Amino acid sequence: MASTRQLKSRIRSVKNTKQITKAMQMVAASKMRRTQEAAKASAPYEKAAAELMTYLAGQGATDNHPLFMRRKIKNRLIILAAADKGLAGAFNTNVFRRYLDVLQRDDANGVGNLTITIGRKASQFVSRLKDTSIIGSYEDMPDHPAGTTFHAILSTACNMYTNKEIDAVTVVYVQFINSITQQATALRLLPAGTEILIDPSEVRNFVADALYEPSVSEVLDAVTYRLVGSRLYQALLDSRASEHSMRMLAMKNATDNATDLIDDLTLEMNKARQSAITQELSEISAGVEAMK
Amino acid sequence: MRFKLVTLAGEKINEEVYEVLIPTIEGEIGVFPDHEPLVTVAKPGVVTVKLEKHHTAERHEFFAISGGIVEITGKTVKILVDEADHGADIIEAETQAALERAIAMRDNATNDVELDKAHQLIDRHMVRLKVADLHRHRHR
Repeated sequence: MASTRQLKSRIRSVKNTKQITKAMQMVAASKMRRTQEAAKASAPYEKAAAELMTYLAGQGATDNHPLFMRRKIKNRLIILAAADKGLAGAFNTNVFRRYLDVLQRDDANGVGNLTITIGRKASQFVSRLKDTSIIGSYEDMPDHPAGTTFHAILSTACNMYTNKEIDAVTVVYVQFINSITQQATALRLLPAGTEILIDPSEVRNFVADALYEPSVSEVLDAVTYRLVGSRLYQALLDSRASEHSMRMLAMKNATDNATDLIDDLTLEMNKARQSAITQELSEISAGVEAMK
Repeated sequence: MRFKLVTLAGEKINEEVYEVLIPTIEGEIGVFPDHEPLVTVAKPGVVTVKLEKHHTAERHEFFAISGGIVEITGKTVKILVDEADHGADIIEAETQAALERAIAMRDNATNDVELDKAHQLIDRHMVRLKVADLHRHRHR
């Protein structure tokens, strides 16, 4: 049996670990809430863009738009969103597995691959692979992904698509369903589709009566870019929310395990201390006995 | 007339106003109540909001916006923008520093992509500085 001193120091170190995991759990919980609020805040933007797009698509304006053109896929751009840090349960592993699925399917169909990675773990993972090349990697994205990095990714994807360097853009990320369920998903970003838009009957009359200046096609350009952007934004927020909720769960488990471990170790230490006392006493009484 | 400035991060303003001045790719437009229905494209610049008819220039509100889509019905004006900042939210010293960094980036740019990015950043920070300046003068 280990000595009381050794046990004491082990208990102390487990306690320290527990404090850290507990703190990480709290931080992840509050970050998750914030990200979810941000996801809700973007809804009016998306709805307004979707409404305009539904009308424009109904007018046939999207038929010849470069971002809507479907063509045979020869090269695909994958935007892989993972975390900057580990300690988030299976978060990174799940999204990487989904990513490998996409790569394998493309390999089988003879489709070339380019990747943009978001998050340090993603760039570390992809840089070890042979059959894709990284054209951009972004680390330390803020929790609200709008801003220059976000627009850099979006405009790279749109420009490459328009220049026909790539024929499809897919985002691989972990979809946030609720705080216990998250699912690794591959979402098609380009060619832009109109299938998930709102019901045409919900479009206000105004949209049909309005003037479009300078022209329908220029408005369409702006709307498409923003709609695609809002989908990417949503995906990145989802990825963040999933990361935080998985980290929260992982840290909760770690905290619980640490608590169990402390209990076990405390029990063992008490036993060890008791047996030391018993032994000492029996030695004393043996000594007394011998002197008689 | 209801004026809404909608960004991905939520609504920046949702209020009854008298007049809105919006920079569009076809030039600046002034929108009053009962403007004819119009959809157009906004470019980066300053959005000026006049809340009441009798308000003079000191009481206008200013927003720095990046590009977006403007949707005008007779009763509402809605702008979908990538980014919008109210004059009061812009910290001039920080923006000035960011502008200087962007200028340094332009001077050290080695390729067109960097140059393009630097120009965009410079434009963005210039607009923000202008809005902060307008806001400061207003409150004198």
